[in-house]
Formats: sequence, structure tokens, C-alpha cells
Amino acid sequence: MHAVSRPPVSVLAAAVVLVAGLIGVVRGAQPPSGAASGTSGSVGGSVGSTSTMAPGMEGMSPDMAIVVTGAYVRQPANRINAAVYCTIYNTGGTPDTLQSVASGAGAQTSVHTESAGGGMQAGSAGGLSVPAHGSVALTPGKGHVMIEKLYGPLLAGQTVNLELTFARAGVVLVTVPVIAVTAPAPTAKGTPQ
Amino acid sequence: MRRWARRLAFGLVALLVLAGCGGSGGAGGSRGGSTKPSELTDHTDTTYSGLGLTPAQPRPQFTLTDTAGRPYRFGKATAGKPTLLYFGYTHCPDVCPTTLADIAQALQAAPPAIRQATQVVFVTTDVKRDTPAVLRAYLKQFDPGLPNPFVGLTGSQTQIDAAQVAAHVTLAEDEGQTHSAQVLLYGSDDYAHVAFLQSTDESAQMTHDLALVAQ
Repeated sequence: MHAVSRPPVSVLAAAVVLVAGLIGVVRGAQPPSGAASGTSGSVGGSVGSTSTMAPGMEGMSPDMAIVVTGAYVRQPANRINAAVYCTIYNTGGTPDTLQSVASGAGAQTSVHTESAGGGMQAGSAGGLSVPAHGSVALTPGKGHVMIEKLYGPLLAGQTVNLELTFARAGVVLVTVPVIAVTAPAPTAKGTPQ
Repeated sequence: MRRWARRLAFGLVALLVLAGCGGSGGAGGSRGGSTKPSELTDHTDTTYSGLGLTPAQPRPQFTLTDTAGRPYRFGKATAGKPTLLYFGYTHCPDVCPTTLADIAQALQAAPPAIRQATQVVFVTTDVKRDTPAVLRAYLKQFDPGLPNPFVGLTGSQTQIDAAQVAAHVTLAEDEGQTHSAQVLLYGSDDYAHVAFLQSTDESAQMTHDLALVAQ
């Protein structure tokens, strides 16, 4: 299993609670305060630009196998392109592949991951694979969903719609909060409050 | 005082290492180490949160053009000041804005005296697109509320290459789009003892280490 990085315990806990809740195992369970509690495809974590926001539950595939959390995009300082970061969990027992991405914020959207040489490269031919019971974390320097040809300015407090299409799980809709230019990443650790 | 003790610690370590190399000076070295141990361990933190540079790198000398179009002599302009030096480009979607945000957060979290003393210098690796005006518009989004505006530098490709060589960073490629992610921190002593790479902890590392190198 080549899981990229271990998700924070809080994310795992929130994921477990939400998944369990949706399948009826835990009734009335609430995510811990601070964790946004969106459901599939609806607004989640779009509380605004505050830095204390915990990674939210932003999106899930219809079969609940794929869960996308902690998504955010930094308000672009160059007004040209923007990078969305998130962690994609595959809670199912079968590997899946992120085949394509689309966004309401720009005309061109693609997945970029770190190349062997250390640079960034636009999506690999076969798509981004997410191992069974594993995850892929798109973090600065490791990978991101790149939005280009922006339709307009992206400002902190707004949200960006993102559509991720997986080979098996189908479409996952994610509502991505835009954070301020200099805000700490919602997923950063040890950031000053 | 902390800094003084740190230097003493380095001196002692160096003495021990030298003694080790000599192969016969063990007694002198260990005696030197044993007379001051409590003072060193009780009052100092000699570790950097970022990546320690051994040997430390001297503050480089290079001249580029700032966003007002004036020559900027890096070595002279920043001498004696804690300085964060970073090479990147404004079309960069991911690492550059994240790193500059980390720097801004680190300075906001630092004590006012350090915030006041520290200079941030961003050198473009994309000389074709990053004109002085583009650089200024870009950097001013990261430095609001900070006492010293971030300095943006550009120049000819040859000048940019020379600056990277002088700062010992890997030369950028692909029109500047593949570039070193390293942020160098030069201290008041005009040496970089530590550098930073992008991580979720980068800004806290910078805040911690700024206090160690600022005098």
C-alpha cells in the first residue's frame, strides 16, 4: 500500500463518524465542533476565510467509497491560476483512479503531481490512482488541482465548485473554500492562531 | 546571551571534533566539555527547526533590479539584517504563494523587534514575465501589515543565474518554472545557518529559527 501520508486523526475520526452515520451505524452522531458537517456534494467547510477552520467533509462519491476532505484553494496572488489542495480517501477495497477534473472557476482544470525530477507535471496518462483503503494527499509541492484561465477573481470567503470523476466511484462534487492570500492552510499544523 | 552561549557550544563541539581528528587530544576535549555542561544544556536550544546548513553559507553578494527599477545590491542592502531569501516566479500556482504566505505568517507571529528587523527578498526565476511592475503587484499582496515591504528582484537571465549560484541554490530550469523551493535565512552574523522547505510546519519553523539568528 503506497498511501502517501497518514491523515490527521481528526480527519479520520470525522470521516469515520460521517461514514458510519450515513450507513446507519451511528445515529445522531455529530462531527466534533469545528469540523464542518457537509454531506455529499453540498456546501461543507465554506465558513469563510478564517484560519481556524478544521478540514471539512467536502465531498463523497455516490457509493461512499471515495471521500474528499480538507479541500482549500488559496486566493491567487497572480490572478492567473489557482491550486486546489485536498486529501482523497478510498475507503473501499478496490483501487480507484481519478480520471478527470472540472471546475466552475476556470476554463481549464487539471491534476498536477510531482514528477520524478522534482518538478510539477500535468496529469499522468492513466490518471491519479488512489489505492484501496488508502489515500492520496495533494499538498503544496506534492500535487494540486490546477485551475487555469480563471473566469474571474477568486476571493477569500468564496467557494469554488470542483467535480472529480473517478473510474469506479463516479463523480464527486466538492465545494472548496477560498482562503486569504496569507492565511495558514486549514490543514497546517502548529500555525499561530 | 543565548546566542553567546550557542557560540560557546559550537566552539566546544568544534574542539571535540578537532580533538577527535587529532586522535590524541581526547582528554583536553572532554575536560572542556564537562566543565560547562549544565550551563549549555539548561539555557540554550541549539537546534534549528528548519534544515541546518553545515557549513553555514555566507550572505551572497549580487546586484539585481528592484521593483522601482533601481539597482539592489543584496549583500550591502541586507547586511546585518535577518533576511529570508527565496527564488520563485509569480505564475507559480502552488509552492511560491504557499511559501510566501508561510513567510508572512512567520513574521506576524514573531516578536515585533524581529519583525521590524527582518527583510524578505524574492528573486524571480522567470525574467520574461516577471517585470518589476508584475513583481510589485504580486508581492504587495503578501506583505500588508508588515513593517518592511517584501523586496522583489529581477534582472537578466545571466544575473539571475549568477545570484542563484552565489546563494548556492539549484539553478532554475524551464523558464524558471522548475526552481529551488529553498528559503534561505541569513542571520545578523551574515551567515545562513538554516534553510526551509515547503511543509505544513514551515511558518512555525521560520518563527522559531528567526529568534535564533536575529541579534
